[in-house]
Parts: sequence; C-alpha cells; structure tokens
Amino acid sequence: MNLISPESLTEKTFRRPLSTRRRKSGWLWGLDTALLVYALATIYPLLWLFISSFKSVRDFSANPFALPSVWQFENYTRAWEIAGIGRAFANSVIVTLGSLALTLILGTLTGYILSRLDFRFKGVIMGLFVLGMLIPIHSTLVPLFIMMKNLHILDTYASLILPYAAFELPVAIFIVAAYLTSVPKELEEAAMIDGNGYWGIFCRIIMPLAVPAMATISILGFLRFWNDFAFALVFINDQSLKTLPLSLSIFSDGYGTDYSLTMAAMSIAVIPTVIVYLIFQEQIMKGMVAGAVKG
Amino acid sequence: MAFVNRLRGFVVIGLLPALVLYLVFVLVPIVWSVYYGFYDWKGIGAASFTGLDNYAEALRDPIFWRALKNNLIIVAASILGQLPIALVLSLILRKSTLFHRFVRSAVFMPMVVSTVVIGMIWGYIYHPQIGILNVILQNIGLGSWIRDWLGDARINMYSVSAPVIWANIGPYLIIFISAIQNIPSEMEDAAKLDGAVRAKWLYLIVIPMIWDTIKVAIVLCISGSLKAFDLIYIMTGGGPAQSTELLATYMYNNTFEVFRYGYGSAVSSLIIVISLILVLGSQLLMRKRGI
Repeated sequence: MNLISPESLTEKTFRRPLSTRRRKSGWLWGLDTALLVYALATIYPLLWLFISSFKSVRDFSANPFALPSVWQFENYTRAWEIAGIGRAFANSVIVTLGSLALTLILGTLTGYILSRLDFRFKGVIMGLFVLGMLIPIHSTLVPLFIMMKNLHILDTYASLILPYAAFELPVAIFIVAAYLTSVPKELEEAAMIDGNGYWGIFCRIIMPLAVPAMATISILGFLRFWNDFAFALVFINDQSLKTLPLSLSIFSDGYGTDYSLTMAAMSIAVIPTVIVYLIFQEQIMKGMVAGAVKG
Repeated sequence: MAFVNRLRGFVVIGLLPALVLYLVFVLVPIVWSVYYGFYDWKGIGAASFTGLDNYAEALRDPIFWRALKNNLIIVAASILGQLPIALVLSLILRKSTLFHRFVRSAVFMPMVVSTVVIGMIWGYIYHPQIGILNVILQNIGLGSWIRDWLGDARINMYSVSAPVIWANIGPYLIIFISAIQNIPSEMEDAAKLDGAVRAKWLYLIVIPMIWDTIKVAIVLCISGSLKAFDLIYIMTGGGPAQSTELLATYMYNNTFEVFRYGYGSAVSSLIIVISLILVLGSQLLMRKRGI
C-alpha cells in the first residue's frame, strides 16, 4: 500500500491560474448547473441547521424550509446558558489546546529524529508508528478505559488529552518528516560546525523551519480533537467536563426537546470549525488526504 | 566518540516521551484487549479466566454476525457510493477554476463538521414527525414513500448509509483529482490524436493510471466503515432491536451498557482481526488488475 505523500498533491491541485477562457457550449452550461445543484445540495443540511437555529420552535415546525419569520438571536444566548454550552465550549477549548501542544512538541521532535538522524532501531520505531495507522481507533476503547481507570485519570482532562495526542502522533510525524525532506542537510551541518548541539539545532534551526508543517498539524489536530465523540463518550462522565460533541449528543434522540435551543447549540459547535475551514481550506484538504490513511 | 554519545543521548531523550505515550495509549491497549478477552470480568471484583469462551460466544451470537453484515453494508455503500461519485466529479473538476474550487470546497465541507452534528442533522431529516425528508416527499406527491426511515428495520441500514456517503466524498475527490493531474498530459494528447473517444480514454488510460490510488481509496473505505460508530450511535444507537448494530456499537453496548468488559475486549480484538482481513483480502483481490 503506498501512502499518499503531501508532495503528490501538487500545488496545481489547489491553485492554478484560471484556465484560458473558451466559449462554453450549451452542454457545458448544463454540466455546470448540475455541479452547482450538487454542491448546494451538499451544503444544504448545514445551511438548514444555521437558518433553523434562528427560528422559534413554532416557526421551525410550521415552516421547516423558510427563512425565520423573526430572527431569534436569543436562541444562542439561551443555549449558551441553559444547555451548559458555555461550559462545554470551554472544556473543548482546554482539551483541544492541551492535545495540540502535546502533539506539536512530541510530533515535531520525533519527526525530526526519525527523518534526519541515523541510529539503530530507527526502522523498527518508524514501523511501530506506521502500524498504528492501521488500527481501528474504536477497538482500543475498552482496554484504554480499563487502563485509565487503573491509573485514576478517567474523568480528567488528561483522559482525553493523552490519547488524542497519542493517536495523532503518527500523522504529525509523517507530516514533519515529509516536510523536512525539502530542507537541505547543510543547514544542520553548518549549525553543528558553529558549535550547536542537537538540541540547539532542533530549537534554532528545525523548529523555525518546520512552522508550516506545524501549522498543518495544528489545523488537522484542531478539527479532530474539537469534533471527537467516541473518546469523550467513554472517558468522560462528569457533567462539568463534557466537551461540545458530548453535550450535544444528549439532545440527539430528537424527541421532546427544544429544537431551536438544540440547533443553536449545534451551530455553536460547528461555527469554529467552519471558520477554520473557510480560512485554511487548501491546507486542510491536503493535510487530511495525506493523513487519511490514519483517518 | 563523544559525538556519538551526544547523538545517542539526544535520540533516546527525544524519542522517549513520544514513544512511551504512543505505546501506552495505542499499542499496549491492543495487546491488553486480546488478554482481557480471555477473562470474564464485570469491571469490578475478580476476573475469572475463561479461555476462549468470550471469542466463541461472540462467534455464536447472531447479533455479532448481523453487526458484521451491517459493517459490510457500510463498506459496500462507501465503495459503490463514494468512489464512483468522487471519480466522476474528479474528472469534471480537474480544472482549477474558481467555480470548480467552489464545488470542491462544498463537497469537502461535511468533513470538518463533528459527526455528532451530522448525525443529529440527519436525525432531523429522517424524523418521522418533523423530518424534512417526509415533508418533501409529501409536497412533491410521493406521499406513499413516507416512512419511518430510522425505525423501519428493513430499510434503516440504507438510511444510515446515506449520511456516511454524503459526509465522506470530499477526501476521495481530492485524492482522485491529484492522481489524475499526475498523469502526463502527453498521454491525453496522444489519446486524442489517435481518435480515441473519451470513454475509451477513461477506461484505457485514466483508470489503469490511477489504479493504485483507487486501491488506497478502497482500503480507506474499509477502515472508514469501522469508524462509522459515531454517526450511527447518534442516529439510532444500534437500534431499534439491534437492527443497525455495528461491530463497534455492539462492542460499546456490551461493555459500557451491560458491563461485560471481558466480552467487549474479545469483540475489540475481533474487530482488529476482521479489519486486517478485509484490508489484506481487498489488496489480494485487486492485485491481479494492478499494472
């Protein structure tokens, strides 16, 4: 199985000067219309969510497709307070930032060592990290739960931060290693002649150079950590520690709940990721595809 | 010599934290789940060794096989749904015009949304009373098609497959586009000069040239199906009457709902074995056609 390296996703996949304009035939217009309909159909469920989040419950049931007759902005403030979404939001921020910090530090360091230095067992260690990509995450839930119970870290932020970072490490290492292949080795040799040790080289040369790779890792990690459900479901029980997806799932049976409150809460969870996506789409597409083998 | 020692020191200290974290939280749990699988354990109290009983029980349980079948339905839906759509779209969307980039972005968009939210949105779409799907069917005169999309055991596996397909086309689209762009353009020109029609060009050049990419995509579909847990847990919880049970929801329910940790561990181990068999099997099957 060949892994998809970020290099194979050439720049032209994402950005290329607008192709030379030719007159379009009727057939091509038809095709473009079909594409547009398809694209709109794909994002419609999300648009519907945002629009519905501003409706009153009665408005939502009476006119499911219309724009809100009155824009109920207070749905958001109510969801923030009543449904405890504020607390969940803060938890998601803490867990995401903690996992990101750990992933970045360990991923960059390990990626540098495994890709640039020669030592015994290097192949074995690299192999271990690749192996992890083939393992279905969900099959580790039970043993992880038991282990964390024994370590008394269930129902703490650490019970999410540590496994998130651990499972994200292969992707981070892969991205850093792929990125560093484009950096000439002479830079490190020159720094070594100048009297730097390995730590000095890592901190002064590699880290600054690897910033773009770290940016990609951060964006992908943010989306994964922010959206995770399975780990949070199993490892967090304490109401005050629940992350956003977990608090939302309480509403998921859809019966007898306050729809507009739920829709607003869901929007609060989705809006940060959509903003990040709109800003960094190209990096996200590239990185997700590169890391897709792990998924 | 001091130089070598410095390298060794750096490598050991630098690798240790990541390696320990990774081993403890990713690799060791797998070994443990095989080990726990040999025990009957309720999570508290003593665990009693029962050998292969848990594994045998799972393999005898019809619900386990139904869960496996449901997983295979998701695999089939992914391979037959996501890949053809992504392939067709990638052939149309190869150019980097603004419009094409917009369509790609839209198709990719669901990938960044939490599966919990996706599951809940589709729960609203399928909802028997307030669901917009039934409202649409009613309005366009297909009232006879109205049904309880998630409650009817005959169709609900297909209902839950729709959002799985919908949400995951984006990455395959991007993979295929980049693979097609790596085909030397001379090959397309040569095909045109020879008067080969487009369909032939697709069949004789594009498909063989990106066959390796398609193989990777199929592996991703298989491993992706084992992750469909979140979506289906949110939409149906594996019900009603375990009709949408997946291997992962089966494992979850046995472990965390009825507290059979040993049994859940055995099922976890079986999930790993099954996913490896599926991935290796699919690779072997496709090897013949490789170029």
